[in-house]
Amino acid sequence: MIRGKKAESKIISVYWFVILLLVATGIIVMVNVFYGSPYDIRRIEAEILSENIANCISPGGEINEDLLSPTEIFKEEFRDNFLSRCNVTLDAQSEFKDIQYYLEIEFTKKDSPKRVLFEIVEGNPNFKEDCNLDGTKHEKLVQCVQKEFYSMGEKGTLYSIKMTSMVRKTEQNAK
Amino acid sequence: MREKRGQLLVENVIFIILNLVFLTIMILFVVKQGAGASILEQSYAKQISLIIDSAKPGAIIKINMLDAKKVADEKGVPFEEIVTHEKNFVTVRLSEKGGYTYTFFNDVDVEIYPDDVFYIITVDKKIGGEND
Repeated sequence: MIRGKKAESKIISVYWFVILLLVATGIIVMVNVFYGSPYDIRRIEAEILSENIANCISPGGEINEDLLSPTEIFKEEFRDNFLSRCNVTLDAQSEFKDIQYYLEIEFTKKDSPKRVLFEIVEGNPNFKEDCNLDGTKHEKLVQCVQKEFYSMGEKGTLYSIKMTSMVRKTEQNAK
Repeated sequence: MREKRGQLLVENVIFIILNLVFLTIMILFVVKQGAGASILEQSYAKQISLIIDSAKPGAIIKINMLDAKKVADEKGVPFEEIVTHEKNFVTVRLSEKGGYTYTFFNDVDVEIYPDDVFYIITVDKKIGGEND
């Protein structure tokens, strides 16, 4: 009887050893997968970029007077110096790397949303198409944030502003 | 009979101790992996970039970098050299050969300097910018 019990406890300890080994392997694999993949902050970056641009072109809910004249004509000069006027730099880390951002802003009147009155485009348009990919396919390639809001001109005309901001930086944020 | 009972108790105690040792090793492994130099470098560089991106001119931000200081001390990197910035990118370096760089898009004047276990980031309007 006692001999049988001893044999049984030996078998249990072998099983236990196997279980511990499995648990250890599982933990090591999970930890490596978790810490091996980089933190993806591109969506937050794109959100902040959109907010900064929105505050620049429409501070306090009215279109920036440097962008829209009192006679409600959009100024080309603002578009030409858009980045410096909005305190944004899209420069890459080195000259040999591509720009990792893309910005597109469309102005339409609220009553005629299909007719684009003015457009501002900045950054690298090469990965624009990646945003239109289905499902989660594009999430590793590029993070896209779209926002639409209304802003008033000096004469009280309501404009719809559609903004798309994209951040690529795939190598640093996705595995 | 009494001897057998005593033997059983000793076996159980050893079994429990071994399990606890295993558990401790696993916890230490997980904690050590999470506090590795490369992970901290990446997380601090990205955090600082996001802070600069969302900061308005005039902002002063204080970041506690005690974790980073401990790792840097171990690896022989002076605390004053952990965070550096150039143009629109921030580099965090916690080991001699390491370092992680991340760019930010906010075109502002940034100053980053150490203070005890903290790093102070000041954000100001760029001198000579269009909006001055």
